[in-house]
Amino acid sequence: MSDMSAMDGQNIKILVIVPAFNEEKSISKVIRSLYESGHNVDMVVVDDGSYDNTSKVAEKNGVKVLKLPYNLGIGGAVQTGYLYAKENNYDIAIQLDGDGQHDPAYIGDLIAPLLSGRADMVIGSRYVKKTGYTSKLSRRIGMLFFSGLITLLTGNPIKDTTSGFRAVNRNILEYFADNYPSDYPEVDVLVRLHKKKFKVMEIPVEMKERQGGTSSITPLRSVYYMIKVSIVLLINSIRSGALS
Amino acid sequence: MIINIYLLSIAFSVIFLLIVVELVRKNKLSEKYSLLWILFGFAILILSISPVFIEKISALIDIKYAPSVLFVFGLLFLIVYSLQITIVLSKQSKRIIRLTQEITLIKGKIEEDRLRNSKNKVISKEEQADNEAV
Repeated sequence: MSDMSAMDGQNIKILVIVPAFNEEKSISKVIRSLYESGHNVDMVVVDDGSYDNTSKVAEKNGVKVLKLPYNLGIGGAVQTGYLYAKENNYDIAIQLDGDGQHDPAYIGDLIAPLLSGRADMVIGSRYVKKTGYTSKLSRRIGMLFFSGLITLLTGNPIKDTTSGFRAVNRNILEYFADNYPSDYPEVDVLVRLHKKKFKVMEIPVEMKERQGGTSSITPLRSVYYMIKVSIVLLINSIRSGALS
Repeated sequence: MIINIYLLSIAFSVIFLLIVVELVRKNKLSEKYSLLWILFGFAILILSISPVFIEKISALIDIKYAPSVLFVFGLLFLIVYSLQITIVLSKQSKRIIRLTQEITLIKGKIEEDRLRNSKNKVISKEEQADNEAV
C-alpha cells in the first residue's frame, strides 16, 4: 500500500475499463473485488449492448456505466473506454474483463512498469506462473501458435497474447482512442504497437475461471479464429504509414 | 420478325438505363454510384447493337467463342464492383462505430450532469420511478 500513497502524491489519474457483455452474474463481484483491492482508481463499465441487467447491476454498485446502444464487439467496446479515458485526462488506463477472470489485486504490479517508464503497455499473463487457471488443449495450441507468430513478427516473446488484462500509459491510451482494431484487437495491437515503437512487457498474474456466462470458444472456431487473426497480423506487419 | 438475343439485350440495356436514371431521380441511388452503372448500361447497349464489336475483341485477345468475351468482362466487372462496395462498407462501418461511441460518451456525460444536479434536490419517489422507466 505504500506505493499507492506515493501515487496519490503524484496525482496520477488511473481508469479501469471493464468491457461487459451480458455479465450481470459476475459484474458486481468484479466491482467489489476492485473496491476491496484498495487501489486508488476510477472505474468505468462499458456495457456492450447487453440484453441482461449488466448496466443496472453496475450502476447499483455505484460505478460509472457507458451503455452502448447495441453490441459493437470487444474492440469497439474497449475503445469507447479509451475515448472516455482520453477525454477525462487519465494518465493510465487498465483493461479488466467483466467476467471475473482477472484479479484486481494485480493492478499495482501491472502499473508499476508504466510509472517507472520501463514500459508503455503491460500485459497480465496467465502462463508465466501456473496457478488455478486451467485451459483446454485446443486453446493452448492456439496460444502457443500466436505467441510464436508475435515473437516472429515483433521480436518480443509475449506468451499470453490474448490476455485482456493490460495497462497502458497516456501515449498508448491516446493512440488507442483513435486507432483500435474492432476485430481480434488483443493480438492485433501487439503488432501495431511494435510498429509504432512502443514498449510492451508481460508480468505474471493468476487468472480465475470465469464467474458466469459461457466461453464462446469451440475447437472449430479456434482454428477459424487462428487463420483469420494470422492473416490480419501478417497484413499489419507489412502495413506502412498510418495504422487505423 | 423473330425475337433474338440481340433485340432482347438491347431492350434490357435500355430498361436498365431507365431504371438507373429513375433511381437517381428519386434519390434512391446517389449520383456517385450511379455513374458506373450508367456506363455499364451503355456498354451493354453498344455491344447489343453491334455484335461485330464483340467478335473483333475476341479475335484480338484470341478467344475462340466470341460470347465468352461477355462472360469474362461481365464477371470481372462484378468482382471489381463488389470490391468497391466492400470498401465503401468498411468506411461506413468504421464511421458508424465512431458515431455510436461518441453518442454513448455524450449520453454518459448527460447522465453524470443529471445525477450531479439531482444530488442537490430531494427526489420524490415518483420522479425516481420515472427516471428508472427512462
